[in-house]
Amino acid sequence: MISCRDVTRRFGNFTAVDNLNLEVAPGAICAFLGPNGAGKSTTVKMLTGLLPPSSGTVTVCGLDVAANALEVKRQIGVLPEDLGLFDDLTVEEHLLLTGNVYGVGKEETRARTKQLLHALSLEHGRNTFAAACSHGMRKKTAFAMALLPNPRVLFLDEPFEAIDPVTSKIMRDLLEEAARHGITVFLTSHILSVVEQIATQLVMIRKGKVIWNSPVGELPQSLEQHYFDLVEAPVVEELEWLGPQRS
Amino acid sequence: MARSTAVLRALGTAFRRDWKTVGSIGVNAFFPVTVLMLGRAGGFLYLILGLVMLFPASTDPMRKIPASRLGLWPLDRRDRTILRFVSPWLNPITWLLAGMAVWALRGRVTFGLWALAAGLVAGGFLVSDRMPAGKAIFWRRVPAFPGVVGQLIRKNVREILSTLDFYVALLLSLAGLVYRFAGLHLAGEAFRDLSLLVALAVCTYTQSLFGLDGDGGLARYRLLPLRGWQILLAKDLAFLAVTLLLLLPLDPVSGIAGAMMALAVGHSASVNQHKEQTRWRFSGGVSLSYSFFQVGAMAAAWGAVGLTSTWYFAAVVVVWMCSVAWYGKRLDHSTYLVL
Repeated sequence: MISCRDVTRRFGNFTAVDNLNLEVAPGAICAFLGPNGAGKSTTVKMLTGLLPPSSGTVTVCGLDVAANALEVKRQIGVLPEDLGLFDDLTVEEHLLLTGNVYGVGKEETRARTKQLLHALSLEHGRNTFAAACSHGMRKKTAFAMALLPNPRVLFLDEPFEAIDPVTSKIMRDLLEEAARHGITVFLTSHILSVVEQIATQLVMIRKGKVIWNSPVGELPQSLEQHYFDLVEAPVVEELEWLGPQRS
Repeated sequence: MARSTAVLRALGTAFRRDWKTVGSIGVNAFFPVTVLMLGRAGGFLYLILGLVMLFPASTDPMRKIPASRLGLWPLDRRDRTILRFVSPWLNPITWLLAGMAVWALRGRVTFGLWALAAGLVAGGFLVSDRMPAGKAIFWRRVPAFPGVVGQLIRKNVREILSTLDFYVALLLSLAGLVYRFAGLHLAGEAFRDLSLLVALAVCTYTQSLFGLDGDGGLARYRLLPLRGWQILLAKDLAFLAVTLLLLLPLDPVSGIAGAMMALAVGHSASVNQHKEQTRWRFSGGVSLSYSFFQVGAMAAAWGAVGLTSTWYFAAVVVVWMCSVAWYGKRLDHSTYLVL
């Protein structure tokens, strides 16, 4: 469903993603992990047509993203890094806009909007402008926008960050249900405990290069330990000024 | 004292940065064109401009500090009192009022004029202080528009309503409305001329159609399965709907012809040279020469339709549609929307 062949993205002399090769099967939940600045968001942008690769081919739903950007956009749902919301639209208006633009019927859009607002506990804030929403509400709105057109592939950039535990559980359940129905999910996250629960495929990236790609069952140890061993180990700096003497 | 000084210094920096956006009026087509065309005779227009600018310029500088942050800082009652009384002096308008007070004492301006200015500034200050940030206030209750891009048009109308250009045009339009319905004598050509002024007042917005969308909005445009021309059309229809409403009491046909030509010229700047805009300020154009070129094209369209034949309106529509198609294609291949 998602295929990357020798994909590289350079910004001047800096190589953000270096020779990425990746296959994600239909119905899989692929977690793309790595530290900040590793190239995760750049990869998501290339997969969703927001950014052209410097070289290589990206295919989504059997379509070359560079050549069929508009058709690919019709097939996918995206929760982008910056959430992509308009300050001058309310939560509900964002969902109605999505329904209109993706060709979902008027009544169906209203029904799905109602369901999504309820499922994600957004009903009380449906008339709040995005500019006035909390970060959590904004993220839930962007998540609902990604789901509403019933896409074939979902791309989610850090969906569980800044989300309350109950909503996080609801989102996990929704994603697992979507995957059971054959929707492919590609997500990035820093919350390894959540990733470990829902992912079926794990890909780790460091400095733009893929350093691990396997089904989740093939991990030799816990995800956290494996991540620390392969990607980056935590370094604790001692702050000697912290505590004993107040200034 | 050290704490309040530190806060005041930071507040001064933030407020100074915000004040720089007032400079957008320098590249707004309306101001230089009216100065050039009307000179000293433009007193009424300058008064409107001054009034429209006064309210956002007299905001309380303390609004720059988020309320939650102010509550968290370890400031005692004395610090807070200092902040409350000193912070208004970060605003140049306060110094202007103080200067006017000195002039009033010396008899160079009347106390009545000073009191009027002080009252308006105080009004702006209190309104900004009381107005809850981010809350939906009445003007944001824009009706939904039909069609695939209906919600985008609604959003775009709200954006236009948050520029000062709109309010200058509104005051001009209201002036025309008063003349038309109060039975006051005004030559028919005056309404036609006023329609050009209204179109002029709002035209600079068309040079930065995406200036108020923010990074999130620009990213969303790229994600939506829409063609560039559809996105541009949603922008244009919102602009034309607002402008038409403003032109209704005047001469809508020639005014709209001017507005369409402004869009046709403005597309190039909007698509090729992204310029961010600030809410509650005048729209800033990309350059004065571009603004003058745009005004020239507008005036030609307005003149052709209003002074010669309405058949020219069809030609203006064709030019506008060609521009939407051409720059829509450019928008499809433009990269700045993802920066």
